[in-house]
Amino acid sequence: MSTQSIPAQPLAARAPGRRRRFGLDLARPSRRHWLGYLLLAPAVLLIALIIVYPLFISLDLSFQNVGIARLDQPRRPFTLANYERLFTSAEFWMACWVTFKLLVIVTGACFVLGLATALLVNNRFRGRSIARLFVALPWAVPEVIAVIIFAWIFDSSFGLMNWLFITLGLTSQTINWFSDPDAAFAVVAITMIWKGYPFVSIMALAGLQSIPEDFYNAAKVDGANAWQRFTNITIPTLMPVLGVTIVLVMLWVFRDFSIIYVLTGGGPLKATQTLSIMTYEQAFGFFKMGYASAVGIVTLVLCVLASLLMVGRRAEAMY
Amino acid sequence: MKLRSSRIALYLGVAATCAVLLFPIYWLLVTAISPPADLRSLPPRFWPDVPQWQVFSRIAEERPMLLWLTNSTLAALGSVALSMTVSVFAGYALSRFRVRGGQSLGLFILTAKMLPATLLVIPLFGIFRSVGLIGSLWSVVLAHATLIVPFTTWMLKGYFDTIPRELEQAAMVDGCSPLGALFRVILPVATPGLAATALYGFVLSWSDYAYARTFLTNAQQSWTANLGITTMKGEYVTDWNEISAAAVFVALPILVIYLFLERYLVGGLTAGAEK
Repeated sequence: MSTQSIPAQPLAARAPGRRRRFGLDLARPSRRHWLGYLLLAPAVLLIALIIVYPLFISLDLSFQNVGIARLDQPRRPFTLANYERLFTSAEFWMACWVTFKLLVIVTGACFVLGLATALLVNNRFRGRSIARLFVALPWAVPEVIAVIIFAWIFDSSFGLMNWLFITLGLTSQTINWFSDPDAAFAVVAITMIWKGYPFVSIMALAGLQSIPEDFYNAAKVDGANAWQRFTNITIPTLMPVLGVTIVLVMLWVFRDFSIIYVLTGGGPLKATQTLSIMTYEQAFGFFKMGYASAVGIVTLVLCVLASLLMVGRRAEAMY
Repeated sequence: MKLRSSRIALYLGVAATCAVLLFPIYWLLVTAISPPADLRSLPPRFWPDVPQWQVFSRIAEERPMLLWLTNSTLAALGSVALSMTVSVFAGYALSRFRVRGGQSLGLFILTAKMLPATLLVIPLFGIFRSVGLIGSLWSVVLAHATLIVPFTTWMLKGYFDTIPRELEQAAMVDGCSPLGALFRVILPVATPGLAATALYGFVLSWSDYAYARTFLTNAQQSWTANLGITTMKGEYVTDWNEISAAAVFVALPILVIYLFLERYLVGGLTAGAEK
């Protein structure tokens, strides 16, 4: 990182006065300098104030029996009751199960759809730059707007999907998408897939473009067919980017709030209540902020564990 | 001959894929401009006989669209300005200096991206309540900074890493102070990167719903566009004409940014992952 810079000697020799005045030479391998600390200070302060301190508070809250969090009141006695209650509550395990189902279905579908669209527009054809732009357009639709679109398409009385299902003869009467647990789950999953796949295709396209054409030409000369070229060149070269992308999509599903909350509110019968939604509902629906913090802390731990498990020691490289 | 038919198949495939995937966006626009009666017709009409374009001016008059959009813009500009100010310096320091604890700070910022908003929103609510920020746009500005700072710091560090150190050395040989070199030499060179980062932050803030919902629900004059529009979605009855027209207003800025400045946005998205 730092060793590639040019040797410090000639520069120092040329401008000895400067060096002494600032005591700073950016080319030197060790550039420890007070200016570095000064430049970092505002960010450190801000992060401490709006991320670290709140995080500490929620950890603290999760060990207290608190209704509405008030900072100006003395803290309640330490208790493990929130966590005990959490791990014995059916609602929590249900939320874990819903989160898991959603993770597998949405991440899987986003991956397949994103990769397929990326491969499709990676072909050479006229207007492909426009096609690339359009194929990932849902990325630019705010989540709340995506929810409005799909809530209307799946509307129980005049929605397009009911009409389509009846026309195709899949059902004889209209489906009430948002009062049936499985149907509601499907609508949530579809909305998330539509909102999530473009990210995969953007990342996959960037990866595809970095594969040199020569690889394919060489493989063609050696007699590899299209499928062999795909499995032996495209997939292995794309794997690092795709791995990172999958983890990022998973984290998004894990933490997403707006899509599920606006679409179904976690219902019906908690069929779409993920851990994220449960955290929010406990905090701002039932005003049990201590309990909610415990759910949130467990969610965070699961998030970190899941991503460490997925990328392992490459965790740093993913950013 | 074979080549031509495969070419046609490719075009058809691309067209069909785009049509299916973008249909929801098209349907939003059609819903907005259809006369109310059309929305209840079966089979549905895929383009209205008489497009009701005036729905947009009507919604702008009857609903506080302009206020919501202004609030969203202010919140986004505020949080981006705050985040960019601290991130430019921090990104530069992480890129150029070896600071004690710099690596652990970097790692912490990375994990901060994994924080669920639903967890952070609880203590932030407590803090903002005790300092009287609930209902004020400032609460959302600060909360959005928790989303944006981790991203912008790392994106900017990445951009600064691509700028050769020889630039500052030359500037300092010519008599610039280290900060002068940053402001007069490095920042002008990094302008595309700065713009991309700021744009990405803007999109993050504009798309937020969780924080606005929690902090601003009881203060109608501070509602952001995303919060305002969800109040138009009724539990049983929704005026799909109106809400779709409003949705077009809310989605448009980001769609336009994406369509015209996609290169910058995507550059930021993929910058970190390709290492």
